[in-house]
Amino acid sequence: MGTQDLVTLVPWTFIAQILNLFIQVYLIKKFLFKPVKDILAKRQALADSEVQKAVKAKEDAETMRLEYEDSMSNAKEKANEIITTAQSDAQRRSEEIISEANRTAIQIKNKAEADIQQEKIKAINDIKNEIGSIAVEIAGKVIEREVSAEDHGKLISEFIYKVGE
Amino acid sequence: MEINIVGPKVYFTLPFELPILGKLEISETLVVSWLVMAIITTFCIVITRNMKVTNISKKQALAEMLVETAEKFVVGNMGVKFRKMIPFVAALFATSLISNLISLLGLRSPTADLSTEAAWAIVVFIMITAEKIRTSGFGGYLKGFTTPIAVMTPFNVLSELATPVSMACRHFGNILSGIVINGLIYASLALASSALLGLIPGAVGAFLSHVPVLSVGLPAVLSVYFDWFTGVMQAYIFCMLTTMYIANASEG
Repeated sequence: MGTQDLVTLVPWTFIAQILNLFIQVYLIKKFLFKPVKDILAKRQALADSEVQKAVKAKEDAETMRLEYEDSMSNAKEKANEIITTAQSDAQRRSEEIISEANRTAIQIKNKAEADIQQEKIKAINDIKNEIGSIAVEIAGKVIEREVSAEDHGKLISEFIYKVGE
Repeated sequence: MEINIVGPKVYFTLPFELPILGKLEISETLVVSWLVMAIITTFCIVITRNMKVTNISKKQALAEMLVETAEKFVVGNMGVKFRKMIPFVAALFATSLISNLISLLGLRSPTADLSTEAAWAIVVFIMITAEKIRTSGFGGYLKGFTTPIAVMTPFNVLSELATPVSMACRHFGNILSGIVINGLIYASLALASSALLGLIPGAVGAFLSHVPVLSVGLPAVLSVYFDWFTGVMQAYIFCMLTTMYIANASEG
């Protein structure tokens, strides 16, 4: 087996090495750069879509927050309204109840007064009658004779009437 | 003792002969070059297998790192408009590096053959020239040789031609010197151990003097420089010069 010179240019080797270099460029492009570029592009796309998703989610959250705040303030307003209404209602009703109670009390009082008056009249009349009969008895005893009730009834009544006053 | 450092072996010679090109010889250089290409391509295929978008493996991280390093190197030295040069520079670096380091396996580096480096340098030289012509036109390119004054033209032509020659010879010289020095060291260590063990009298000494015991250790230390350092350094320098020259050419 022969050898080539130590320092020499061999045309065939020279040409073959140029071709080898370009074949190597092609191979390294196909088997290293292309797959890695593809995967990097995919990752980039994924990252982009994730960022877009995040932005969208943020926007959604913002809208939701606004809606929530809106409904919260609405609810607060409504609550205030309800409380105010309830308060005024209660106020009104308590006033009604109190006035009703007052009215009832006055009625009761009036009725009681009327009753008392009636009782009083009744009692006076009773007493009048009692005194009348007692007076007739006493008068009868005093004059020792039967006084005609009809004669003196008028007199006695007059007397009692005066006494009653 | 005779030391013989020779060029690449010729494994196979095609029987016919072409004019100028001579006989087609399949030399050690070519065979090992193909092996180098196979190694690089296999490596690329292995590290880019089963690539995922997320939760990547160490292999994939390595593949991405290599691609990104190549991109950073080319874009950093040449600018964004030379992105299409990335695979070329990467291939050049990988081929040069693996060719240099394959000598660690006991094979003869393809880069220990001037034809290899000359081939690369010519490709780079054509790229430089093409870039110059593309930038300033053919007339502008020719005119560039007469600057700053017409008298300088021969020197400018010479310096232009010196570019590929110096690139090729720099790389080749470094690798060859490694081989030569390695050969010398192995031979001298064999001689030294033979002389040392030859001091043992009788048949034992005669037998042991053929065992180059001193060859264990020291060559490994030297190979850190001559194989690893030089191999990596020359691959890097060659690619660095390639990118620099082409980038400069585009500046007119």
